[in-house]
Amino acid sequence: MTVPHSDDPNSNDLRPNDPHPDSPRMNSPQQKPGYEAVDALLASAVEPEPLPPAEQRRALRESLGLSRAQVATALGVGPSTVGGWENGRDPAGEVRGKYAYFLDAARSRLQETQAAQTRPCVLCGGPATDEVEGFPQHLDPQECARHTTPQDPVRPEPEPRSEPELQPEPEAEAGPEPQPKPQPKTKPAPQPQRRTIQRPTPVRKQLTGQAAPEAELIGRAVEKALAEHGGDVEAATAQLVRKAIPDAMALLDACRTGGRYDVIAHPWVPDILRKQSARGSDSIWEARPKWTRPELPPGAHEVTALDINGAYLSALKTHLPIGQLEHSSGFEHDRRRAGVHLITPPDWHHDPYLPNPLGNRDEAGPLWVTEPTLRLLLRLSGPKYGLCAPPEIHESFTSGATENLLEKFRAALRDARERAIEAEDETTVEYVKAMYSKFVSTMGESNYNRELYRPDWMHLIRSQAFANLWMKALRAHEQGLAVVRVMGTDELHVTGDWRRVFDEGRGVLEVKVKDVYTVGTDADAAEAELNEELPDA
Amino acid sequence: MPEHTLEFGKFGARGVRGSEAVFRRLDDLAGFIVSPVDSRRGLLARLHYLTRTDHARAAARAAGLTVTDRTLKAWLDGRRRPTAQNLRRIEDAYRTVRRHNVAQHLLRRLNSRGGTRVELHPLNQSQVPRPRQRVLEYRSLNIRRWDRIVEAWSTGDTEGLDDAWTDQIVDLGSQWGQYEYVTNVGFAA
Repeated sequence: MTVPHSDDPNSNDLRPNDPHPDSPRMNSPQQKPGYEAVDALLASAVEPEPLPPAEQRRALRESLGLSRAQVATALGVGPSTVGGWENGRDPAGEVRGKYAYFLDAARSRLQETQAAQTRPCVLCGGPATDEVEGFPQHLDPQECARHTTPQDPVRPEPEPRSEPELQPEPEAEAGPEPQPKPQPKTKPAPQPQRRTIQRPTPVRKQLTGQAAPEAELIGRAVEKALAEHGGDVEAATAQLVRKAIPDAMALLDACRTGGRYDVIAHPWVPDILRKQSARGSDSIWEARPKWTRPELPPGAHEVTALDINGAYLSALKTHLPIGQLEHSSGFEHDRRRAGVHLITPPDWHHDPYLPNPLGNRDEAGPLWVTEPTLRLLLRLSGPKYGLCAPPEIHESFTSGATENLLEKFRAALRDARERAIEAEDETTVEYVKAMYSKFVSTMGESNYNRELYRPDWMHLIRSQAFANLWMKALRAHEQGLAVVRVMGTDELHVTGDWRRVFDEGRGVLEVKVKDVYTVGTDADAAEAELNEELPDA
Repeated sequence: MPEHTLEFGKFGARGVRGSEAVFRRLDDLAGFIVSPVDSRRGLLARLHYLTRTDHARAAARAAGLTVTDRTLKAWLDGRRRPTAQNLRRIEDAYRTVRRHNVAQHLLRRLNSRGGTRVELHPLNQSQVPRPRQRVLEYRSLNIRRWDRIVEAWSTGDTEGLDDAWTDQIVDLGSQWGQYEYVTNVGFAA
């Protein structure tokens, strides 16, 4: 049943087949005996709760650091329903009241915190909640004007009950359109709308106030090693790194309790995934990037070598085949499955400024690529990017896939890493790094880890790291930086003001500066210099 | 037992007997010398393994390498090359001795910490006509005592291994006969 959304339900033409169009609509029941039920229904339909406009709902929820799933659980609906409400649909019925109550409470909470964080604007002196490069100020000159106008010292408080249209709140996401800066800025490009990403605390952590049990496994191992070596950090680190593979497998087991899928460790593996000899490799092309820009515009350029933090850690989130790989031949790509595919790659015509997503392959012709590479190619061939033709798939070895197989494992490692960085605990950082990197490198046919024989996962995770790096290069290119070099798993060399594209730091979403060097002195030497000066990493 | 498979592959199913897959897997875990016996490197490695101590020589002799010490020495010095038949004997003796030597350690690892979890990957039905296909799921079971399996493997007793293995997969329940033939049996040690 749908509740009428209009303010006055009586004005709606609810009876299209009215036999007496001349008569007033709402007659008394005794005059029209067939309409009592309809009138009772109309009387029972209460006026719907007013909701803030759709674009504010998401901001309100995110301001509290709540996920859609959390809100959805509290309201008793699905997460996609909440997503729909945030994209313009309106809830109906009983749940509308609940949602309105939630948004109302979220708004008042937000206003409280904003009031607490308010600092005087450097431009007008009024209370401001936003900061630009450390200076509190209003983002909109109109707000400055409002604060300096004497007759309106306080912003009018929006009345959610009376009008659904609200004043735009000076929130973190102020709006889609770039707002003019009141002060002259040195930067020519408009400040992109980037927000510092604050990950919401998982519900379990909020409830118990302590780390998840699988995260404690890491902390306990570090404590034990430090105690054994009497606080000798180096010896303890060495011991932890030696134990990293079995510890990672124990952590994986702990993370799979209550999981939906089993980790299948020893499936039958097709021959293309088997090593040809003990030291040899198999037939899978992982699309490792190794690209240097052929030429830069004339003049000297300052190149920054950026390093992506924890590339393999982030790449643990990828579509992994759950079970045994099954063979299929055909041109269709099934998004619910993942594996390795024999494709004929499309031609790439952007080599002067963007690397080939397949890496630098010397031989032409069909090749076996992994799921992340194929998905990257399909994405780039799509209408959004249109950078190449779609790849042609000949045959595939795939299995039903999920992105969540290693998700808890990844989150445990990521959280441990973040906490260790905050506490400047280098032992744990090293230990976590050894855990995820050795986990990835030994999950194939390695004798160092016999618990897991998944060469397919190993290839997929590596390729995902390369695809992630490639997308970062594309982002840099789209934001106006010149990409100079893309190498290995985590190396991205760019010129220009990269700080407006990437955050600097040690988190997995941030980048680290490895090196800054200058390339090219004049037009003729630019290319020669580029090839000489680039350090071999 | 009525669950036993008769005429496997009659309708196009493909797979290997479970016990055979276990035999291969245990061989993988034992880790034999990779170089083939007909290469000089592989031959010398095997001969060294079989002649390192008196105990090893006795074991090799018991395993069927009944040649004189003089011949062995000639092979090791490279003065003579073993015949094709003797190469086969060397390979067989090497595998037998190696299995016997490794069995004890392998058994300890497999039995430790409450046994070892075994993955059973069902047989391949892709060539079976649709009406004859059955729903076969991936199954796993924990085997606590590996003594009989490892013993049969180390002595090369395939029938004994098959019996020991069948005794274990009966624990899968009434459908165990579907897992007599598999594509792969996976476990770690």
